Amino acid sequence: MKLILSDRPLDIKITGDHIRYIDLSLLKIANCIGCFGCWTKTPGRCVIRDDAVKVYPLIAASDAVIYVSRIKYGGYDTVMKTMLERAIPVQQAFIQILNGETHHVQRNVLPKKATIIAYGDMSGGQRKLFERLVSRNAHNMNFESYRVIFADEGQLDRKVAEEVAKWEE
Amino acid sequence: MGRVIILNGSPRAPRSNSKRYAEIFSENPKTEYHNIARTNHLTLCDRLADFSDLLIVFPLYADGIPVTLLNFLKTLEQNPPPEKPVVSVLINCGFLEYRQNDVAVDMIKLFCKQNGYRFGSVLKIGSGEAILDSPFKFLVARKIRKLRASILSANYRELHVTMPLPTRTFVRASTSYWTEYGKKNGVTKEQMSTMDIEKEIEK
Repeated sequence: MKLILSDRPLDIKITGDHIRYIDLSLLKIANCIGCFGCWTKTPGRCVIRDDAVKVYPLIAASDAVIYVSRIKYGGYDTVMKTMLERAIPVQQAFIQILNGETHHVQRNVLPKKATIIAYGDMSGGQRKLFERLVSRNAHNMNFESYRVIFADEGQLDRKVAEEVAKWEE
Repeated sequence: MGRVIILNGSPRAPRSNSKRYAEIFSENPKTEYHNIARTNHLTLCDRLADFSDLLIVFPLYADGIPVTLLNFLKTLEQNPPPEKPVVSVLINCGFLEYRQNDVAVDMIKLFCKQNGYRFGSVLKIGSGEAILDSPFKFLVARKIRKLRASILSANYRELHVTMPLPTRTFVRASTSYWTEYGKKNGVTKEQMSTMDIEKEIEK
């Protein structure tokens, strides 16, 4: 399965059941409360039963993802960051050594090719910091490869369509 | 004008390790402490005007700053105090490598650069989930006191601390820590190790 996760509506045509598109701005997703319930009480399940519980299983089951997010302080802005924080049930509490560093063990999370499309104000070193962030995500979110694309907000539909077309090649 | 105001950006602020770190820092009486909550952003923005230094205490979350803190910074950007305090950071992550905090610290530095705040000191803590309940608590307490001294003297600096353990030993210790954590909830190590996602575990 392949997944498009966006923090804003996109005008794109999806063909085939193997691609899922989720507009996070339409979902009700509360902040992670840091309770560790998904690790130590109901492992693999978030105790907050809102729309996030429909999304993180899709992230885990995807071998390719496109994340579209506004950039803020060199990171994901609120909508995408809230979802990514709520996705920690896909990991275990337990720690392993990965690429010489300590990281959480992943549950059934497919290795994935990730394309991160960032838009918004890119001033003041935001791009370089965002690229460093995604390189950290690669360790903790099981990206076997990744690309970061910076785009104007008005170009997003076209950029996403181009990336989806590559999936079809 | 007071000296240091501490804001806790942990999503579980009242029960957080960040609060425990802040308490060690606050042995000095010239500090004021607040949890960042969804409903108190503007109040906290107003309070900043009375302090020369702001210490933000928070955990690493998904490789960056927690949404709780991100949303507060966005409010602060729109509601800056008339005189801006120097911003220092105390950050902890559960990983052994304190450097895994670097990107999140640089996000705060970028906020400061974009909004005209001077960045002060930073203390990066590795193994931060468990270090306060380990024999190495004295190491982190010592570094927090150094952080406090650097801020109070305006001799800002970068500090770090983690458990002085080989990586494999740390992994074994963290496995024991989390196994005990689960046991208190009646969940076994095997149940915590499930590879299933969104599936009820039968007890």
